[in-house]
Amino acid sequence: MTKDEFMPKIIAFLCNWCSYAGADLAGTSRIKYPPSILPIRVMCSSRVDPLFILKAYLNGADGILVAGCHPGDCHYQEGNYYARRRFAMLKTIVDETGLESDRIRLSWVSASEGQKYAKVATEFTDQVKKLGNNSAKNKIFL
Amino acid sequence: MSKQLKGAIVNSKSGVQNTIIDLLLKSIEKGVFNAVLISMKTPAKDSFVYVLAEDKSLIKDGFILPPTMFVQGAKAVSSITRLGKGNLKIAVIMRPCEVRAIIELAKLGQTNLENITLISIDCPGVLPSSDFLDNPDKSIKAFNEAVKNWDDSIMRPVCKICDKSSMISGDLHVGTLGAKKDTIFIISNSEKGNEFADKLGINLKDNIDTWLSQVKKLSEEKRNKRKKLHEEIKSKIGGINNLVETFSQCINCHNCMRVCPVCICRLCYFDSDNVKFPADDYLFRAKDKGSMRFLPDTMLFQMGRMMHMSISCVSCGACEDACSMSIPVAQIFSMIADETQGLFDYVSGRSLDEPIPIVDYRKEELSEVED
Amino acid sequence: MTKTLKLNKSTDEGVIDLLRFLLDNKKIGGVFSLKKIEKDKTVAYCLITDSDELKDAVPFFPLMPVNAGNLLSRFTLKSVPKKPIVAVVKPCEMRGFVELIKREQGSLENIFIISFTCGGVFPTKTQVDKTLYKNIEKYWDSAKKGEIFSDLRPTCKACDEFVPYNADITVDIVGKNDFDKKCLMFLNTKLSEDLTKDFKGELSTGDLDSKKIEKIKLDRLNEKKKLYDEIGEKLNGIDGLIDIFGKCISCHGCSKVCPICYCTLCEFESPDSEYKPSNFESELQKRGGIRVPPGTVYFHLGRLTHISISCVACGACDDVCPVDIPVALIFKKIGESLQKRFDYVSGKNIDEKIPLITFNKEEFTEIEE
Repeated sequence: MTKDEFMPKIIAFLCNWCSYAGADLAGTSRIKYPPSILPIRVMCSSRVDPLFILKAYLNGADGILVAGCHPGDCHYQEGNYYARRRFAMLKTIVDETGLESDRIRLSWVSASEGQKYAKVATEFTDQVKKLGNNSAKNKIFL
Repeated sequence: MSKQLKGAIVNSKSGVQNTIIDLLLKSIEKGVFNAVLISMKTPAKDSFVYVLAEDKSLIKDGFILPPTMFVQGAKAVSSITRLGKGNLKIAVIMRPCEVRAIIELAKLGQTNLENITLISIDCPGVLPSSDFLDNPDKSIKAFNEAVKNWDDSIMRPVCKICDKSSMISGDLHVGTLGAKKDTIFIISNSEKGNEFADKLGINLKDNIDTWLSQVKKLSEEKRNKRKKLHEEIKSKIGGINNLVETFSQCINCHNCMRVCPVCICRLCYFDSDNVKFPADDYLFRAKDKGSMRFLPDTMLFQMGRMMHMSISCVSCGACEDACSMSIPVAQIFSMIADETQGLFDYVSGRSLDEPIPIVDYRKEELSEVED
Repeated sequence: MTKTLKLNKSTDEGVIDLLRFLLDNKKIGGVFSLKKIEKDKTVAYCLITDSDELKDAVPFFPLMPVNAGNLLSRFTLKSVPKKPIVAVVKPCEMRGFVELIKREQGSLENIFIISFTCGGVFPTKTQVDKTLYKNIEKYWDSAKKGEIFSDLRPTCKACDEFVPYNADITVDIVGKNDFDKKCLMFLNTKLSEDLTKDFKGELSTGDLDSKKIEKIKLDRLNEKKKLYDEIGEKLNGIDGLIDIFGKCISCHGCSKVCPICYCTLCEFESPDSEYKPSNFESELQKRGGIRVPPGTVYFHLGRLTHISISCVACGACDDVCPVDIPVALIFKKIGESLQKRFDYVSGKNIDEKIPLITFNKEEFTEIEE
């Protein structure tokens, strides 16, 4: 990575039981992925209020990742189903207002999927790099 | 004011706006301030909003006397320092009624002024928002002409009768009235003001008599207009029938309450559970006359708000601009405010040292209301 | 085929006669309706308990000073009335009330709804500047022909939900070219049949003229497409949002008049959304400047995430905005898109759960990875 290369800032909401553990596993297994992710541990993907994602976007986060347990495997039974619906709602609003919906992503990563976590992080970082810097960073009249 | 005002005559050949902006930029350079709260045009060029700025290029685009006051400046200041004084030293440049509202908010614990320097400027008034929205470009031109001629005919109705448009209650004041051509007065009203002048090499030893006398003359004229309009309003709204008629179009949107700088309650009494009743209670009330406007208690809201805030009202007129039904709220409330404040010889926001009359008392007073 | 009640008098008179009958015979405890009040004949919603007061009632007046869903919710929030109340409301007001009931902010118990095929309302400022009264005859002419009157709220011109769902009685108005001579009511529920049992009128069966309704719908959809295209151009990313909402003064009037926004203390007015001095300092460091009060675009996008799933596109938000931002059209467009995605029509079916509090085990696979 050269000094001038754009390293995006991606805020990742990772659920405690699955995706955070999966991210840990990627770390302990020494799997390489770009240093773009800023993880925030939540107990369940359904803790993620769409307002968190909006606030991160408007504060200039280049990407926002929400990762949880696979549908059917949620530690709290149903949390990720609701998270999926809320995410669909937010995506619709982001699309309709012309914001860059490719900057937000929902993934299911289980505790044993260290490889998948690294893959998601790498792919998402590449996707966000293509979009460039989030111009909301510099906006004064937001 | 018990303090002695100290003034300096400053060259303003580049224009009042540019002169002040230059002073502000210089003061940031010298570390007197870290940031400035100043009005700026929106990117779409369709309005003016307050921006807290430390970037020089931003401040250069600021307006010290914008043609509109969509957001009352006191609300902007309160949003910055309600929760503490912070680390930034901020210069605030606003109209006298906004500075008075800020002082009043400080008394109400809604803003911390320790790191804020309040700068006011002689004010010819502000355009009604609906006029501005109809044609922003034309309005800006008309406003600039009006400032040149100190003509208030196109301003808000409450601006036309404002006798406090040059009142100094902050730290510094920019006096444009009575100044010789290409000069302005920089007047200090506090230690903070003196420090500012000192650090910027402004010698506060000049005579400001021409400003004082011009301000006195204009205030007298406005005071007479004010008395007249208030009498007219009293007769128009006097009595229960006229009152109800005046507010008949009110839809209880509460815009007036929310844009008012001194209406500070996070949950207004008139939005709270106290005004929510069971269905049969409403029916019982309706049976009294056979028909009841729903939701009821419009007059209770209006007069209740009068009772709650008129002692602090600065007659800025933000309420009238925000009213979705074009009710002349500001004219009515400012008339009431003069009466309630007059009862205690109080002027809202005149000085930080004056407590709000409702939280103060004398052992012997107001014998005319008791028996 | 629905049971119908026909009267040989104007629709206004016919419905008021029914209301008078119901009040006089003590079948109901009161009536909610638009009524002319005060010397200047301001039109406002009133709770009427004495049938004499019905002489000033104007139940179908093309004005919505407040969305009646808000009023009915307030009326039934603490308790339900002991005797039935009849409310004459517009379709979007009824849908707003239904959405509020789903949020436990009211109840339909002992509330009997009369609604009608709606020709739209004037913006409230036309009552202030009196242009409404100049144009009212032309409005009724357009309504007779089922045409879109030019000076309505934009959301009304683009409204294809003008036929009420689930009212107890639906009154035929828009597109009915003799509504000033004949009154036609559809008795949709058993309750409406019971209440009108002894009322004099011609009982029959029938349905709304579907061809006429389709034609009106088509006109409205064309208008909708036009308005959507216009606003769609402005909704183009962060700069577009800053342009549209630049003049917003954060008065939150739009939220207060919205039927769906019922929170006593709004999230965006709570301490959660308050900037601390340290927030301002870090924003200044990052951006060099920040608009004060901050969070304008955040408020509108946030309100979209909270309520657009239930937006009934009544347009009350537009009328109350002091700086003329086209909030209603934006919320209508985004709300409709969102509701379509969940196959949901807000306020249509009281038993249908709000999509965000329910789920299917298999769905939306296109957004997950």
